[in-house]
Amino acid sequence: MKKFLIFILLLLFVGLSATNIGYAQKPTGEPYVIGGIFPLTGYLSWLGEYKKKGSELKVELINEADGINGRPLKLVIYDDQSSPEQAAKIAQRLISKDKAIAMIGTASVPISGAVASLANKNSIPAIIGSGYEVNPEKDRFVFNTAHKTDFAVARPFQYFKEKGITKLALLMPIGSLGELGSTLARKYAPSYGITIVGEEKFDVKAPDVTAQLAKLKTLKPQALFSFCTGEPAALVARNMAQMNMNIPVLVSHGNANPGFLKLVSNVNVPIIVPAGRAAAPDAIPDSDPCKKVIAAFNKRHIAKFNEPANYYSAEMVDAIAIIAEVLKTTKGATGEKLRDGIENLKNFVGMQGIYNFSPSDHHGTVLNDMMVFEVKEGKLHMLLK
Amino acid sequence: MNIMERLKKAWWILPAVILGIIPLIFKEKSAYVSGILIFAGIYIILAVGLDLLMGYAGQISVGHASFFAIGAYSSAILTVKYGISPLLAMFFGMFLSGLIAWIIGRPVLALKEYYLAMATLAFNEIVITLIIEIEWLTGGASGLKNIPSFSLFGFTMKNNLHYYYFVWFVVFLVVAMTIAIVKSPMGRTLIAIHSDEVAARTFGINSTKYKTGIFVLVNVFASVAGSLYAHYMGFIAPDDFGVSTSVNMLVMLFLGGFGTIYGPAIGALFLKILPELTYFFQDYELLINGVILIIVLVFMPKGMYGIFVAMKRKIGFSRE
Amino acid sequence: MGEYSHLFQFFFSGITTGSIYALIAVSLVIVYRVSQLICFSQGEFFVFGALFMATLISKGVSLPLAFVISLFGSMAMGGFLQWLLIRRIQGSSIGNLIVMTIAIFLALRGLALIIWGRESYVVRPFTESQPITFMGASLQLQVFWIAGITVFVLLLIWFFFEKTMLGLAMRACAENPLGASLMGISVNRAAFFAWAWGAAIGAIAGMTICPLLFTQYTSGVMPMVKGFIAMSIGGLSSIMGSVIAGLMLGLVESYTIGLISSKFSDAIVFTLLILVLLIRPSGLFNSQR
Repeated sequence: MKKFLIFILLLLFVGLSATNIGYAQKPTGEPYVIGGIFPLTGYLSWLGEYKKKGSELKVELINEADGINGRPLKLVIYDDQSSPEQAAKIAQRLISKDKAIAMIGTASVPISGAVASLANKNSIPAIIGSGYEVNPEKDRFVFNTAHKTDFAVARPFQYFKEKGITKLALLMPIGSLGELGSTLARKYAPSYGITIVGEEKFDVKAPDVTAQLAKLKTLKPQALFSFCTGEPAALVARNMAQMNMNIPVLVSHGNANPGFLKLVSNVNVPIIVPAGRAAAPDAIPDSDPCKKVIAAFNKRHIAKFNEPANYYSAEMVDAIAIIAEVLKTTKGATGEKLRDGIENLKNFVGMQGIYNFSPSDHHGTVLNDMMVFEVKEGKLHMLLK
Repeated sequence: MNIMERLKKAWWILPAVILGIIPLIFKEKSAYVSGILIFAGIYIILAVGLDLLMGYAGQISVGHASFFAIGAYSSAILTVKYGISPLLAMFFGMFLSGLIAWIIGRPVLALKEYYLAMATLAFNEIVITLIIEIEWLTGGASGLKNIPSFSLFGFTMKNNLHYYYFVWFVVFLVVAMTIAIVKSPMGRTLIAIHSDEVAARTFGINSTKYKTGIFVLVNVFASVAGSLYAHYMGFIAPDDFGVSTSVNMLVMLFLGGFGTIYGPAIGALFLKILPELTYFFQDYELLINGVILIIVLVFMPKGMYGIFVAMKRKIGFSRE
Repeated sequence: MGEYSHLFQFFFSGITTGSIYALIAVSLVIVYRVSQLICFSQGEFFVFGALFMATLISKGVSLPLAFVISLFGSMAMGGFLQWLLIRRIQGSSIGNLIVMTIAIFLALRGLALIIWGRESYVVRPFTESQPITFMGASLQLQVFWIAGITVFVLLLIWFFFEKTMLGLAMRACAENPLGASLMGISVNRAAFFAWAWGAAIGAIAGMTICPLLFTQYTSGVMPMVKGFIAMSIGGLSSIMGSVIAGLMLGLVESYTIGLISSKFSDAIVFTLLILVLLIRPSGLFNSQR
């Protein structure tokens, strides 16, 4: 009897927590299905939420404006659990069960790799947003609206050169981001007159990195480069403050979001963050065509979520906008036609910059679309436009 | 009665037929369904192997994903970087896993219970660290891409459906082998070692030899699962071979029914299909999956296989 | 002086991480001692304690009060889970029990996601002040809080197990469950208190450590894995052993990072662990076997 009671209790619990999802759709006609692959649980889940919110709102806005030639967009979102295996599973589900014509999302290099593999195999375009570098020869159906990771290293290095910083130490997280950071730092350092004085690694789940910092401190660097996002980045900065290492620390371009700014609100170390325009719309001149796009979207985003869009949401908003733009002109949404459509898209104004795709460039943005900011009193201040 | 006996012996034809026609039933969704079942099949190989090790030989492992990783990476590296055929790469992976298992098996299996669990967990972490740090070979944390589809004698299995039948053929092979071992004198020896190692030794059983032997075999199975996984994913990264994957396999084992071989297979199938049914709960998915596991554990203390056995008894199929 | 300051910093770094591992290991040992159970849901008590306290503080509750409320909340949760779930399957195999704790871990993590969302929470240190510097190396003051609270918890445990009837009964259960039940001691009751205690100490660990970390719903895994390691080096059931092992683990980690390689530090530390297990199969500090 007791067992039965518990059963009822648990069942009730499950029943109560069931949610109902539905989209208000104005345009009639058969919807175009876009698949969203976001990390909603697991270690990347904090950024998955931004991506999900931004893309849901963008689809809502497009459907408010009568969809695409009268047909609505439908976004089907699944959780990749921050795991490549799960991402591969849901990409397969999106393609063969939900009949998605294109996919967006992903947040890390390995997850993008898993999704890219299925996109290519099934000829379904995927517009991802991560540090994954698309090789258009092999990744025929993969595009990336995140700025090339190269930009996130080259642009701050440009700033370092202007400031006369020549000795740089690397403190890289163990993981794909750290690997990329390390490779790119070595690639770009010579052209900006920077010497890399030392490199250490750390586990992103470690509670303390002062041992690594102490080792690097003995090499007397003028700046530190730690290519990580969120909590580990904040931990590095906090430990530097603890050790009185008052040199600038360069972190990854994913940090231009309110969550990170809150984490480092009481850390007194100059934190340098490269980011796109969406991170600080007030700092861009009115002549910039992107400003209008950002302002319009931000208005709705603030109204709905009480916070402006950020780097992560902007990537996904642009991805949806690009798909929508191509769908307007392409008759019949086969994977090949969509892919060709995106490859031929020129001068498309998004939140992240002005996209010019081609069969040999699946990123579309340029070096100067990345800007360099410093965190000051919980806000981003532009250092390099 | 004779017919009944024969029918009972040939019971496995039923699941085989069901699995054979499943993709045909789902028609246009078959790529999706067979995709899920490919993953389930791969995990069945892992779970069944783990059951042989834990349920019969009594050796705990919280690092089963490490040999899964070694198999996957052997296949991926050899086919991508050296252009070796997938079948040969798979055999190499099996050989390598077997060799590593043989080398570490003797000392590590001298440990007992919780300490053995910790040692296997540590081994799993070491494998992951090495995969991440030997970047030039393994692609590091970013993973290894463009792994070709599996091919057999010149026939490339690009299609999910082809691969589905191939994977499940291997699954049946592995399960049949495991059952054969369990029913053989070796199986009984293993159970003897499990229940009382000292006693087994006094009867002249070389327990170390048996334990190491089964450890090697089980990890060769895991390696095969890894190879199958790598060719299906087309991309692998260390993320999916960590301790959490090993722990997941333990859950499959106990959820399905420890020491029953069929039980862990059912557990693996259940755990791989469950998220497909609960995904629309979104933020509540994690909680609901946890609660479902709890319910199964509370109401089926002998695992899901126990229910099957009970059902069989009720229908009167039991031998007792 | 500056020449060798990094060597001191390695020490401080090791003490910081080591004290974290030690406190978590203690919470694991408590449950193990009484119920011979490896509790995979321990990391979640860590998270619940920390996040519940963070929420209370953000609502304007003072730190000491928030600490106490969160402590008793977690204690109640641990006891409740034992009563609701663990007791039901008491008779089944140890493997089943462990998998039950994994299921509880998943469910609690899911619950934490719903309650606290995906963001990280920052809790200010218990005393706001500059870090202590010694020979050019720096140590955060919170570490002293961690050390002090660990000592307090150890004293409390000692008092409880040595001086109170309930504690003695629980020890009896751990050492000889059948004998204890013959003596009229309820094994169930002992397990109930062990879970309540374990959850409470797990929560204390979370609350004391969270000012050094950024805590979110997934933060429970790292402390738990390190706690397991410290516990096995310490010999599973020895509380003092696990404290020393935790500190040692932290120090070995930081000196490996500092003097050998930060790239392979995990591989080195885990290889050492395997070696320790092979040489002393029942832990470094286990005097019972």
